[in-house]
Amino acid sequence: MDPIVRRSSFFYLSTLVIFSAVLGKYLGVDPWPAFEVIPLFMPVYLAAAVLSSERGESYGFLRMLPVSDRAIVRRKFGLILGAAAAYWLFMMLVALARWNSGVSGPSTLVYVTLVCGCGLVLAACCQVGIWRFGLPLTTGVTAAFLAVSLVMAIVHMVGLRRRADWPVLTQLAGVQWLAGAPWLSVVALAGLSVAVLWGLMRLGIRMKVSSEAYL
Amino acid sequence: MDTILEARNLTKQYEDFSLSGVSVEVRPGSIVGFFGPNGAGKSTLIKILAHQAPAQAGSVRVFGLSYEDREREIKNRVGYVAQEPPFYADKTVQWTARFAAPYFARWDGAGFYGLLEEFRVNPLKKVKHLSGGQKKLLSLALALSHGADLLVLDEPTAGLDVVYRRALLERLRAFVADGERSVIAASHVTDGLDQIAEDVYIMNEGRLVMHEDKDELLSKWKWIHFRDGALAPAIVDRLSNVQRQPFAVSGLTGDFAGLRQALEGALAAGDAKVQNAKLEDILVSLIKGA
Repeated sequence: MDPIVRRSSFFYLSTLVIFSAVLGKYLGVDPWPAFEVIPLFMPVYLAAAVLSSERGESYGFLRMLPVSDRAIVRRKFGLILGAAAAYWLFMMLVALARWNSGVSGPSTLVYVTLVCGCGLVLAACCQVGIWRFGLPLTTGVTAAFLAVSLVMAIVHMVGLRRRADWPVLTQLAGVQWLAGAPWLSVVALAGLSVAVLWGLMRLGIRMKVSSEAYL
Repeated sequence: MDTILEARNLTKQYEDFSLSGVSVEVRPGSIVGFFGPNGAGKSTLIKILAHQAPAQAGSVRVFGLSYEDREREIKNRVGYVAQEPPFYADKTVQWTARFAAPYFARWDGAGFYGLLEEFRVNPLKKVKHLSGGQKKLLSLALALSHGADLLVLDEPTAGLDVVYRRALLERLRAFVADGERSVIAASHVTDGLDQIAEDVYIMNEGRLVMHEDKDELLSKWKWIHFRDGALAPAIVDRLSNVQRQPFAVSGLTGDFAGLRQALEGALAAGDAKVQNAKLEDILVSLIKGA
């Protein structure tokens, strides 16, 4: 395995395993609100994987090696895409497995894809942010963003349990509309996310190529 | 191939420093030295030549190829040693080699570990526990272990004790001995590289002050020591770094050939004598005069 991928993949794999073990099990046993809340943690875990893999990364050393900045950026973005796909696949499979019990439905598939798409773009922005603004600043901004998101997710979860009129994300009008043709919407959302990722990767390549070695 | 490396009009602008229009040519089998005071732009130039930092203008071609098109091919043939080698601090020396090896087409693992043994660098030690000199030696071991045809070294002897410094200088001489490979090194003059460099570039404030073959340079620059009053004031005015002592005066000239005839009388009478200048003297004279 490529050494750059091998080093970074440890962080992606460990966060994926923790997500599956700690949160994923609720998808398999809990009633439908689990599919409302648990996917929202996916961007948190993916961004945490990006940030932790970048801690201690030595781009100065990488630039000494016969590997181009373009190839490094592609490997990093490939890891983000691969990890996001793994989260998505895991949640989609659990959703499909619980289809007959009525816990999940077409809107669940669309919602999981939507959240994973957002998580993918957030992680890619995080990566580009690290190259542009450095790890400390990007970590701070991402941590603040994720903390607010988590608080909102927790508030949402509590609301779902206590208030009958609390908005259900999977039942929002937009999600419902997309769920009219769930597989088409899933493909379109996934395609859109990958297209945005591709654009961010091009930006990342431009930034890395024109940057100093240590960035 | 006439040139191993050719750089034209390299320009790089930082907030408080700029490298302006520097051109460099490196022939096969040569050791090229970049000398100058702190902040002269040597490290910036070395980084650009090794593709560690982008230039804002100008071009670099190595082995006739450009980094833009053939980065991987060029870097497989270039060994680079940074001023402060940027390894993964938490990893061991062995891990560092295992990480780097797959990227090099001609990696010589046995050679690498042989060099570590020679340099007395423990492969099981974490990089953060190595001294500055040991990090430099690790970097040199990496640069010398993948069949490089060009070494680009930024202050390679900094932090090394006299034993390793001499060993390194010998190794660099041996590296270019076949006439095919070359070395580029940036340095402060006093660390020994001035002894082995054949092609000398002197830099100051981001500009190239002088470029000359070292033998020619040393044949032009001489110290003239003479009895006070033995030389005409017009000759003394042509000397730099003039140092007056009781009854004796010393001065440096960069045009010994032009001064020789005027000195002949004093030399014959034993009132003056000529001494070879060191590169350090020339550097100081050029920087002071700039």
